[in-house]
Order: sequence, then structure tokens, then C-alpha cells
Amino acid sequence: MSFTDLIGDIVKLYLNNEHSALVLLILLTLASTLLSLLDQQIMSVTFIVTLTVIIKGQQIVDIFMEFHQAPSKWRYLLLSYVILVPLILAIIIYS
Amino acid sequence: MNNEMMKKHFLIPVSQNNTKSLPGDLAMWVFIVMELTVFAIFFIAFAVAQRVNENMFALGRESLDLSVGLFCTLFLIVSSYFVALSVKAIKSEDNLLAKRLLIYSLVLASFYLILKLSEYSSLAEQGFDLSFNSFYTLYFLITGFHFMHVLMGMVILAYMGKQANKGKYSANNCSGFEAGASYWHMIDLLWVIIFFLVYVIH
Repeated sequence: MSFTDLIGDIVKLYLNNEHSALVLLILLTLASTLLSLLDQQIMSVTFIVTLTVIIKGQQIVDIFMEFHQAPSKWRYLLLSYVILVPLILAIIIYS
Repeated sequence: MNNEMMKKHFLIPVSQNNTKSLPGDLAMWVFIVMELTVFAIFFIAFAVAQRVNENMFALGRESLDLSVGLFCTLFLIVSSYFVALSVKAIKSEDNLLAKRLLIYSLVLASFYLILKLSEYSSLAEQGFDLSFNSFYTLYFLITGFHFMHVLMGMVILAYMGKQANKGKYSANNCSGFEAGASYWHMIDLLWVIIFFLVYVIH
């Protein structure tokens, strides 16, 4: 492996890695907590909060669980869970 | 710094395998999918009950402390982050770093347990128990079931740390480690949805 390959690996690691996922997860958690403090949750707020949960789920599945390099069927199975479950819950509560 | 040292420092796996494979054991993933399904049923039950008894759930939610939910989420997310890094440490053949990261993760998980127990205790003092109404039945059922999973996960992490301390894992022998880590991430994933369902949306 050449030195440039190594630098490429480091850049790849730091652009799409656990550190950035952690920052994103914390920011989304804080954002959804702030939105939950609103007295009346209008449709757009609900949509944003649901979206934050979906993004957080995707980050955990793809980055922490390393599913971005797993077989497609398993990845789609897990991703469908983190997309569908929050959506179904939001639809049940707000429909 | 030579290439090997840089690899170790930045937790770059020693052996880069480009073939797509499931992290950990297949049996663990079947188990995880089953667990996720059970929790999904609980979540839907909670949402349906909330739809039917909106006032009861609004009052129930007022008795919960949002900051407890927030800190529980943060503790589990950072804990999961350390576990993810420990997997990378194992793949970089650094068992001792992996052990240290698992200890950090266990400490954060302990904070989660303390916070959750304090919330249960506070609710019990106010007279809210499992049989008070549908909200508390489902609240204690979902969070209690999750709490037991956290305890189980901590036992698994402690075992993984013990094995790492003995240098039992390597880049080519980390399937068991990955399986345990995946279980911990599942716990984190479930809490993210519980936080959303129980504390955030109303």
C-alpha cells in the first residue's frame, strides 16, 4: 500500500465515519428535544421530528453497525425498519 | 510515523476485505430481527393506545422528565459510538484499546441505568405504577423490557472486554466481537425510537 492510498483511507474514514455520525446523532437528538418543547406540534414539526429519527436510525445502521458494507438484503431490511416504524407511529398518532 | 503505526492510530483495519459480509454471526442477526419485531409490536400498541386515549397519554407524558429521556439518549448514543470504535480497534489488532473503549461504554451505560432507575423511583413515589392506567402499563412495559436488554448488553460487553483483555480477538477472528457490538447497537437503535415515541411526540 502506498502513502497516497493510506491518506485516501484516512480521508474516507473521517468523512464517513463514527465521529461525524456521533456529532450528527447528538445534534439531531438536541433538535428533536427542542422541537418537543413546543406546546402544539404542527404537521411540519412532526414531519421534521420523524425525519430526525429516521436519519438517526440510518446512521446507527450504516455507520455503527457497519451495514453500508453488508449484503443489500440485510441492509434494506434494517433500513426499512428504521424508516417504516417511525413513519407508521407518526401516522397512527397524527392521522 | 510509518504506515503500520498510522494504520493503528487511525483504527484502519489491518485486513481490508471488500466482499460484502454481515457483521457478526447470522444467528445473532436473526435474533436481532426477532427482537426488533417484538419491540415494533409494543411501539404500535403504544401509538394506537395514545390515539384512543389522547388526554390520558398527554397527562402521563407530563409526569415524565424530558431531560431524563434526553440524557439517556445521549449516554446510549455515545456508548454505541465507543463500541463501534472498539470494533475498529479489534480489526486493527489492538485488543487493549478495544477493552478500554468497552469500559467507557459500560460506564455510560451505567449512567443510563442510574437515570432510568431514578425516573422509575420518582414515578413510584408519585403513585404511578404498572397498573395505574394504559399509559403507565405500556411505558413500564416498553422501557422496562428495554432496561433488561441494556443489562443483558452490559453483561455481553463486559465479557467481550474480558476476552479482549486476554487478547482473544484479532482482525480475522472478530465475529463474536462484532455480534456482541451489533446487539449493543440494536439497543441504541431501539432507544432512539422509544425516546421519539414516549418523550418527544405529543
